[in-house]
Amino acid sequence: MDIRELKKLENKRKMNKGYMWALFCAILWGIWYIPGTIIWAVPPFDAMWVDIDATHGGSMATIVVALLISAFNALTVIVALLIWNGYLGKLGEMKRTLKEFHPCSKWFFLASIFGGPIAILGSFIAIGFIGAGFAAVAALTYPVIGSILARQWYGEQISKRAWMGILVIIVGGLTIFVGGAIAEISAGNLSYIGYIGGLMAALGWGIEGAIAGKGLDIAEPDVGITIRFLGENLLYWVILIPIAALAGYPILEYALQAFTPLAMLVLGFAGITFGFCYVCWYKSFPLIGVGRGQGIGNLYGLCAVIFMYLFMAQVPAWTVLIGGALCVLGSFVMISEETGEMESLRGE
Amino acid sequence: MAGLRPIKFRLLELFSDEKEHWNYEIVVKMQKEYNMNSNFGRDSINFDILELASGGMLKSVESKIDEDGVYKKGFLLHKYVITDFGKTRASDACLMYV
Repeated sequence: MDIRELKKLENKRKMNKGYMWALFCAILWGIWYIPGTIIWAVPPFDAMWVDIDATHGGSMATIVVALLISAFNALTVIVALLIWNGYLGKLGEMKRTLKEFHPCSKWFFLASIFGGPIAILGSFIAIGFIGAGFAAVAALTYPVIGSILARQWYGEQISKRAWMGILVIIVGGLTIFVGGAIAEISAGNLSYIGYIGGLMAALGWGIEGAIAGKGLDIAEPDVGITIRFLGENLLYWVILIPIAALAGYPILEYALQAFTPLAMLVLGFAGITFGFCYVCWYKSFPLIGVGRGQGIGNLYGLCAVIFMYLFMAQVPAWTVLIGGALCVLGSFVMISEETGEMESLRGE
Repeated sequence: MAGLRPIKFRLLELFSDEKEHWNYEIVVKMQKEYNMNSNFGRDSINFDILELASGGMLKSVESKIDEDGVYKKGFLLHKYVITDFGKTRASDACLMYV
């Protein structure tokens, strides 16, 4: 084999590795919706909802419980990520990266705003108001936002084939989404706040990916993602939870009651699946780019529907099956792209 | 001290002399500086170089097969040079182009 062919093979291997990380991300992300659904019925979160519902109404109760669940989700994710970085021997690199706030770690803190209190909280709001199936598919359009921002902001190359794949995935996502919404409208119980939550998830994750891509230029992905969750924890536990407590919600009382074996087991499961889904997501970006990483990561919508069917007996509608099939097709369109000649993801 | 900066910052700094460098030379230098002497450390640093190239900050100008086992026998070795985009990002990271 000559040098040229070896080089081509090396590039192909690199891209395949990136696609593999993105696929792992999709599977773990899909699994995350199981603990993300169960936790609402686990003490003290169930009692917390009933308590706040009695004084402030059901909608407010769902939002405040979603806030506390999101905060605990961030807490268990950071524990999982710190253990992961300790195992990889990257705690020293984390300290070095954290110190470089202006050139580097600020991007991860900024990403945490969009990924945390906007996307993840929005997703929990969508789960709380409508359901996990909806929450999963509602965010499916986020790669469009991520791809366009990455292209405009730092000139990331997106081939026509990659665009085609992204578009097929989006059509699949919308098929699932619109099918569910029409059924809800005809049943007369459309939950607007849940749909806003879904929109928050799509926008938040799309913007987060593009911002994180900027930081990942000059940081290691394992370290970058941990700093991003450090930022999210600070946002919840230092700003948002105290604000909710000052506003008169019994959020701190219930936060202290959440340290039970059952709640910690479910939250730990959420932390491990979500933490490593994010590790895989961030690891895929430097190898295949934000657009492709998000496009393949989008298979989480289909994975979530499958896992919710297998473990929670939630039977998907026919629109979900068609949309899911389109998502798989779109991902294969992207993966089948000829990448042997592609050495860089940027315009240069 | 150079070792106190994140690994990718230091890599960009090493390439900021605008000269061409083989990946194995840079990897050996970095392993010493960061005390990452295991095979995992070696591969981890090389992967960081690969990510910088993938991100358009470094450009491969020459390749050869590692026949003598200077990095890994049979693997492809690359000679990289910093790109204009790499200089811009190095400048963002408060390196020499400021």
